[in-house]
Amino acid sequence: MAAAAEALVTPGRPMLVASDIHRHFEGLHAVDGVSIDVPSGQITGLIGPNGAGKSTLLAVLAGTLPASSGTIVFDGEDITSSPAYRRARRGLVRTFQLPSEFARLTVLENLLVAAPKHRGDSLFGALMGKGYWIDDERRLVHQARALLDRFGMSAQESDYAGTMSGGQKRLIEIMRALMLQPRLLLLDEPMSGVHPKIVLEIQHYLQDLRAEGLTILMVEHELHMVERLCDSVVVMAQGKVIGSGTMATLRRQREIVDAYLVG
Amino acid sequence: MDLYVAAFGFGLVGMSVIAIAAVGFTMQFGITNMINLAYGEVMISSAYVAYYLNKAGITIWVGMIAGAVFGAVFSFLLNRVVYAPFLRRGTSHIGMVIVSLAVSLMVANLLLPIVGYYSVSYQDTTGGLIRAGGIVLTTNQIAIIGVAVVLMLLIHGLLRYTRLGKAMRATAANPTLARNCGIPTGRVIDAVWLITGALCGLAGVVAAMNSDSFAIANGAGFLITALAAAVLGGAGQPYGAMIGAVIIGMVTELSAAAWSPEYKEVVAFGILVLVMVLRPQGLLAKRGALAAAG
Amino acid sequence: MNTYYATNLLVYAGVDIIACLALNMQFGVSGIVNFSFIVFQAVGAYTAAVLSLPPDSANGGFQIYFGGYQLPFPIPWIGGAAAGGLLSIPVGLVVLRRLRSDYQAIALLVLSIITNAVITNARPLLNGAAGLALVPPPFSDQIDPNTETYQFLYVGLTAICVVIVFVLVNRIVESPYGRTLRAMRERELAAMAIGKNPVQLKMTVFIVGGVIAGLSGAILVGFIQLWAPSVWLYPETIILFAAVIVGGRGNNIGAILGALLVPVGFEEVTRFIPTTIGPPGLIPALQWVAIGLLIIGFLWFRPEGVRPEPRHVFEGAAVREETG
Repeated sequence: MAAAAEALVTPGRPMLVASDIHRHFEGLHAVDGVSIDVPSGQITGLIGPNGAGKSTLLAVLAGTLPASSGTIVFDGEDITSSPAYRRARRGLVRTFQLPSEFARLTVLENLLVAAPKHRGDSLFGALMGKGYWIDDERRLVHQARALLDRFGMSAQESDYAGTMSGGQKRLIEIMRALMLQPRLLLLDEPMSGVHPKIVLEIQHYLQDLRAEGLTILMVEHELHMVERLCDSVVVMAQGKVIGSGTMATLRRQREIVDAYLVG
Repeated sequence: MDLYVAAFGFGLVGMSVIAIAAVGFTMQFGITNMINLAYGEVMISSAYVAYYLNKAGITIWVGMIAGAVFGAVFSFLLNRVVYAPFLRRGTSHIGMVIVSLAVSLMVANLLLPIVGYYSVSYQDTTGGLIRAGGIVLTTNQIAIIGVAVVLMLLIHGLLRYTRLGKAMRATAANPTLARNCGIPTGRVIDAVWLITGALCGLAGVVAAMNSDSFAIANGAGFLITALAAAVLGGAGQPYGAMIGAVIIGMVTELSAAAWSPEYKEVVAFGILVLVMVLRPQGLLAKRGALAAAG
Repeated sequence: MNTYYATNLLVYAGVDIIACLALNMQFGVSGIVNFSFIVFQAVGAYTAAVLSLPPDSANGGFQIYFGGYQLPFPIPWIGGAAAGGLLSIPVGLVVLRRLRSDYQAIALLVLSIITNAVITNARPLLNGAAGLALVPPPFSDQIDPNTETYQFLYVGLTAICVVIVFVLVNRIVESPYGRTLRAMRERELAAMAIGKNPVQLKMTVFIVGGVIAGLSGAILVGFIQLWAPSVWLYPETIILFAAVIVGGRGNNIGAILGALLVPVGFEEVTRFIPTTIGPPGLIPALQWVAIGLLIIGFLWFRPEGVRPEPRHVFEGAAVREETG
C-alpha cells in the first residue's frame, strides 16, 4: 500500500506554501518557524507528538488563529492577513479536532448552510422572499443529498446534527466542508473518537476525494492510517518541522523515530 | 485647587470601597467562570442587614461583620440553589448571564416590599474629623481605608501562601485538570462563594457607609462600579481589580469634584467603554474578555 | 370592557409583538443577548416625539428638549425607526466586534442602565426624569384622538406595522440567511470556517433589530403621548427576554405568543388584583419576582419554550418511522 502511494507522487505546483510561520502564546512558542509546502492533488500527513504544534499550525493556516509572523501563500495568493472566513470562501477549508457540528440544525441544513453563493444567504436575498432564492435552494438540496447519499447518511438528513454519533459528526463536518467545493481541505484528526468501522469508511472517502483531485493536509495520530493514506508526511516536534518525505523514508531516520517515540 | 485635594482624599476612600467589591466580583468570575449579575443586589441586601442592626442600636462595625456573614451565606446559597444546578447541566455562558440577571431582579424586588423605596442612612457613621494637608476625612473613612488595606493583604496572603489559595488558582486555570490532580474543586468553589460573598457583603456595608444615604436602587450602581474596576484590571484578576479600583475610585471622585457627583457611574462607564475599545483584555489580563467564542 | 380599554390593550399588544419579533431575531435566532433592547425602543420613541412636538417654547415652555419639528405622520415613525438603526451602528461596533458573548451581554446591560441615568439627569436634552409629555399623536390635527374612530385608526396603523414586521422578520428567519444566523448562534468558530463573517452578520441583525425596536417605540409614544426614563428602565428588556424564552426561542409564532402571555398577560392579570393588599409597591414588586421565576423556571424545565424552534424538514426527505 505504501509503495502504491509512493508511485502516485507526482511533483505538482504546491497548493499552499507557508514560510517561517511563528505562533506564540504568552511566551510559549507553539509554532516556531515552520515552513511547509502542501503539494497539489495529494494527501499530506502532519504528524508529531502531543503538543508538537500540529493543530496550532493548522489553525494558523486556516486563519482561525492569526500567525505571529510568517507568510502563507495559497494557490499563488498571499493570504497571510486574510481572515478565516475569507480563506474558506477562497477554497481553503478546515475541520476541527473536536466535534463542531451546528447542533440544532438538521444534518441536511448543516450541509446547506455551507454552500457559497446562495442567493438567499444575504439580508437582501432573504427580504426578497422565497421566490428569489428557491431555485438555488433546490439545486443545493440536490447537491447536498448527493453527498449524504455518498457518505451513507441520507436516512438522517432531517435529524438534528447534535443527536448524531461522534463518527457521524465527523462525516457531517467533512461533507459540510465539501459543500464549499474546497481546493485544499485541512483535516484535524478526522478519525479521532470514531468507531473503527467508520474510520475505514472515512479512509475510503478521502482516497476517493484525492482521486478527484482534491488536495488534503491532515493531522493524524494513527501512523498506520497515515501510512495507508498519505502521499507524503511532515513531522513536527516542539513547534518545528523535523522531517518530511514519505513514511518509508522517514522510518529510516533515527531521530524522527526517536522524536515520535519520546513524545 | 483645595477642592481637588479634598477630592483626592475622597478618592482614597472611594478606591478602598471599590477594591473590596471589585476583588470579590473578579474572584467569583475568575474561579467559577460565571458573571454574577446579582452581585450588586447582594451588596445592597447586606447593607440593609447592617442598617437594621444599626437601627437596633448595634454599632456599625458589628453590622459590617454581620453584613459580611450575610453576604457569604447568601452568595453560597445562591450558587448552591440556582447557579450550580444550571452549570451542572452545561448551561452556556449566555444562559448563566440571563439566569443571574433574573436572580438580580428577583432579589431586588423581594427586598423592595421589606425595605421600601426610600433612602436610609446609618446612625453613627461620621466619627471625628482628621486633617492632613488639604485632605479632610472622618475617622470612619480612615477606618474604611484600613479595612480595605487589611483585606487586600489577606487576599494576597490567601492566594499566595495557602493551600486553598493555590487550589483556587488551579481551579481558575483549568477546573478539569485541577480535579484530575486531586483538588476537591467542589469544595474549592464553595469556599470561593463564601469568601467572595463575604467581600461582597462587606463591600455593601462599606459603600453604604461612604455615601450619605442609600436605597434599593443603588444596587445597579454598585454592580457597575465593581464591574468597571474588574474589567479595567482584566476580568478574573484580583490584582488587576485592585489597580482598576484605584483608577476608577480616583477618577470618579476627581470628576465629581470637577463636574457633578451624579455622573460618577457614567464616568466609570466611560472608562469601561474606553477599555473595551482600546484594550478589551484589560490591563493585566492573561485570559480576558478577548476570547474565541464557543 | 369599553373601547378605550380594548384599543389600549391592542396597541400595547402590537408594540410588544413587534419588539418580541425583533428580539427573537437577535437573541433567539442569532444568539445576540441584547440587554440594551429597550434603549433602542426608547431612542425611537424620543425621536418620534421630538419630530412631532412643537418647539419647546410651546405650552408655556414647561418642558425642555431639542428639536421640535412638528412633522406630519409618517415622518416621526420613520424617523424613530431610523434612529433605532443609527444608534445600533456605534453600539454594535464597540460591543459586537471583539468581545466574548457573555461580555457583550453585560456591556449592553451596563449601557442600558447608564443611558437611562444620563437621560434622567441631563434635563436640557430630553427633559430629564419628567420626560416628554403632550406628544402629538399621528393625524391629531385632522381627527380628535379622543374619539373611538381615532382609537380604531391607531389600532389599524399598529396592526399594519405588526404585519409588515412579521412578514419581513419571517422572511429573514426562514431563509438561507436565517439558517446562517442559526449556524452562527450554534458555533461561531465553525461558521467562520465555512466562510461566514460573524461580525458582519451580527452587525446586520443588530441594526435591523434596532430599526424595528425604534419603530415600536415610535408607535407607543404616539399612542401614550408621553415618554420618560421610568418607562424604559432595563428590567423592561428582561420582560421581553422572558416573553421570547417562554414563547420559544427561534420561533416567530412563539415570539408573538410570548408577547401576549408575558408583557400583555402580566399587565392584565395584575389589573384584577386589588392594590390595597400589602404595603405599597408590593404587587408590582412581586410581578417582577414572578418574571424572574418565569425565566428561571422555563430555562430549567422547558428551555425550548412553548413553541420550540421548528425543525426544518425538506421536501422529499427520506421517510422514517418516527417523526418529530
